[in-house]
Amino acid sequence: MNMMQVMQNVVWAVLLWPCLVSLGVPLECKDEQGSIILCASISKEKLLDRVIQHAELIYRVSEESCTLFEEMFVPFPMRSQRNQAGYTCATKAFPIPGSKSEIQQISDKWLLHSVLILVQSWIEPLVYLQTTLDRYDDAPDTLLKKTKWVSEKLLSLEQGVVVLIRKMLDDDMLTTSYYEQGVAPYALQPEVLESVLRDYTLLSCFKKDAHKMETFLKLLKCRQTDKYSCFLH
Amino acid sequence: MASPSFLLLIPSLGWLSAVTSSDPFVHAPHFTGCKSRELVTFSCWWSAGSFQNLTEPGALQMFYWKKTDLTKEWRECPDYSSTVKNECFFNKNNTVIWTTYCVRLSSKSQNITYDELCFELQDIVHPDPPVALNWTLLNVSRSGLNYDIMASWEPPPSADVSVGWLTLVYELQFRRRNSSHWKVLEHEFGTQKSIYGLSTGEEYEVRVHCSMRAFNNFGEFSDAIFVHVSEIPSKESTFTVTLVLIFGAVGVAIFLMLIIFSQQQRLMVILLPPVPAPKIKGIDTELIKKRKLNELNFLLSVGGMGGLHPYPPDLYQDEPWMEFTELDADEPEPGEKEDNQSSDTQRLLSLGHNNHCTNHGCSHTLSIPDNDYDPELPDQETLMLMAALLSSQHEKVEPCLGNQRSHSNPPALKVLDVPCQRLQAPEGGERPLVQTQLGGPHSWVNINFYAQVSDVMPAGGVVLSPGQQVRAPENAITTEEDKKKIGKMEGGEEESEGEEEEEEEEEEKEEEEERINKKLPSQLLVVDPEAGGYTTESSGRQISTPDPSSPGEVYHAFPPPPPYLLHTTPLGDYQSLYILPNSPAQFLPPVLDYTVVQDVDSQHSLLLNPPSPQGSPSCPPQPPSKPLPTMPIGYLTPDLLGNLLP
Repeated sequence: MNMMQVMQNVVWAVLLWPCLVSLGVPLECKDEQGSIILCASISKEKLLDRVIQHAELIYRVSEESCTLFEEMFVPFPMRSQRNQAGYTCATKAFPIPGSKSEIQQISDKWLLHSVLILVQSWIEPLVYLQTTLDRYDDAPDTLLKKTKWVSEKLLSLEQGVVVLIRKMLDDDMLTTSYYEQGVAPYALQPEVLESVLRDYTLLSCFKKDAHKMETFLKLLKCRQTDKYSCFLH
Repeated sequence: MASPSFLLLIPSLGWLSAVTSSDPFVHAPHFTGCKSRELVTFSCWWSAGSFQNLTEPGALQMFYWKKTDLTKEWRECPDYSSTVKNECFFNKNNTVIWTTYCVRLSSKSQNITYDELCFELQDIVHPDPPVALNWTLLNVSRSGLNYDIMASWEPPPSADVSVGWLTLVYELQFRRRNSSHWKVLEHEFGTQKSIYGLSTGEEYEVRVHCSMRAFNNFGEFSDAIFVHVSEIPSKESTFTVTLVLIFGAVGVAIFLMLIIFSQQQRLMVILLPPVPAPKIKGIDTELIKKRKLNELNFLLSVGGMGGLHPYPPDLYQDEPWMEFTELDADEPEPGEKEDNQSSDTQRLLSLGHNNHCTNHGCSHTLSIPDNDYDPELPDQETLMLMAALLSSQHEKVEPCLGNQRSHSNPPALKVLDVPCQRLQAPEGGERPLVQTQLGGPHSWVNINFYAQVSDVMPAGGVVLSPGQQVRAPENAITTEEDKKKIGKMEGGEEESEGEEEEEEEEEEKEEEEERINKKLPSQLLVVDPEAGGYTTESSGRQISTPDPSSPGEVYHAFPPPPPYLLHTTPLGDYQSLYILPNSPAQFLPPVLDYTVVQDVDSQHSLLLNPPSPQGSPSCPPQPPSKPLPTMPIGYLTPDLLGNLLP
């Protein structure tokens, strides 16, 4: 079993070799003339602020997309999110704090890694969602644009979080160990109620996870500024 | 695997419970709501409905289940609220975010499930209302009718905004006091918002509530505050009114200034009328300045522009310049010659004094003192001369002067040897009355008021030049008619109309004289006294012979004239002033005021030979004599005047 585990890790490492390379390369920054230069340096605070901005935007756009999709495709009786008990969101292997008390108790490292895992877990499903939405006949353009935008921004968010981890935690460790297998694409026909519901679930779950990401990052920021007040609650 | 189906059952059960209680008047126990205030804790409420038997506490139980529980059993409410009825409170230790919660309302024995509810915590967050709502006045409009305020508040203390746990969005509402409709302003992320366009004097209510961002679950409203701004008294309106008045006054002043400046000339004329400069109507002062005497004379005489009528037109038509000049010795005369001259001139010129007006003109009476009367020719001559000078015309003439005699003065006045028996007639003691007739049928209109001094003789005589050109045809006519026979004076009897004449002794001479009168131009010549101042015979001929055909007659009529002055002057030796017209073109319009004194009769009346304006172009060439310049007619030098008067 250990052997298998180790072999799995090695395989993953080999497969993810390009990612390693990309992660190892420092971020490219564009200066004012538009030429791409290597970022000399960016302070942790600024980087954290930028990451938080990204997260906020992603969350907002995801919420708008979910609302759009709900209005277009989801039958009325099934719209209420409170009673949603159908398809649940994919659970993560990595334990992600669920309550404020938990979040306050875990470390920065754990927070950052949680964020990273969340981001990474949604890259692929969003791509899938895009292809699925394209197959819809009357999907509004705004919805498609938003989903596309979100998937792009998610990638940059991931990049930022990685740099943040490296800066804050001085951790150059590969984070692939927490990478979990993505959701397998469902090869179902579009616009069938089931597929509609599935897509709706997908969007809702992504919206939830985006909210998580934003909350985590904000709490992290609070910790950076004033550690003690953040823990009082 | 069982959980999905179990989860599917839950809503169906819920649905079922809803269906069973279809009776509107029968309400089964149900959840009234589950809410979280800060995403940390939450509470659920239910009601017993219309089931009376379940109202006592403890009859209903609530169970919950959350997804993260490893076991699938329903747990009972951890905390039934003691204060509030039918409330279950979940504290922070029992709450998990982003996980599904399901609650169930069932009876005590867990037999009947009345209601179920599933939710995730973040979906039921209804934040507390913001606190510390306040407003400040931003500004008031200029009119004082509207104002803007800035409302500010603080997030609810329960919401952990500072940590970043919650990101809230606020919504402000306001309304007029008595209105029922709240005006909603946009969602605001900050904790303050400005309200524009409120009306003064009205009271407004303002309230605010908040929600989690991207969720539309607004919490309760804060307590409404009242906004009121009293109307500012009409300080501004009075200010506006005064401002308007000031601007209006300034505008009117500017307008008046513009008018005054634009119409300055006219206003000056109206307010300060110009003092009329001395001026003669119809005559341009420029003419006088430029010494355009010709035009001036034209204007004065003819009234060129119709402006000049210094004399009554009828007189004008009738040649008012014809005057009768009477010499009256009885009349007192001032001794001075100058005075005499002036008075006589005045008399002659004035129409009112000593006037005897007839159809043809007026006659003046010229007085010569009696005591000094000398029947000698000089006096007579002078008298005649004076009369001649004083009268202007051509008319008939008169007088035959008396005997030829010599003048005692050094400037020898040649006395014409004019046999004028008239003078020596019985009238002898009388004063010579010289009458001159003025005027002719035609216009002596060319009155020469002004005589220009053209030259001064060495001896002191002044040579005058006529100021105006003679109108040739008229002059021709007049001269034709009004010829004064120059030679008549020599001794011919002459007749002048309307004058006291000497009786003609010789009719031949009369005829001739008449003829000559008609033919001969009468002229006045100014002669230099020193020169013996006379024209030669030839000049006299020239003068006296307008008719080329008849020169001979003239001369035949008279005795060969000694060198004498003009025929016009019978006063042989004395100096007389005559005007010699050099040429017809140059001939002056006769000065109507003066004429040549031809003779002085016994009654001391001057017989005048009105000069004819025109010279005779066909006169025999005169022997070269001293050229007599054109002179104004009838100008008397003072010394001559002295000769005239005693």
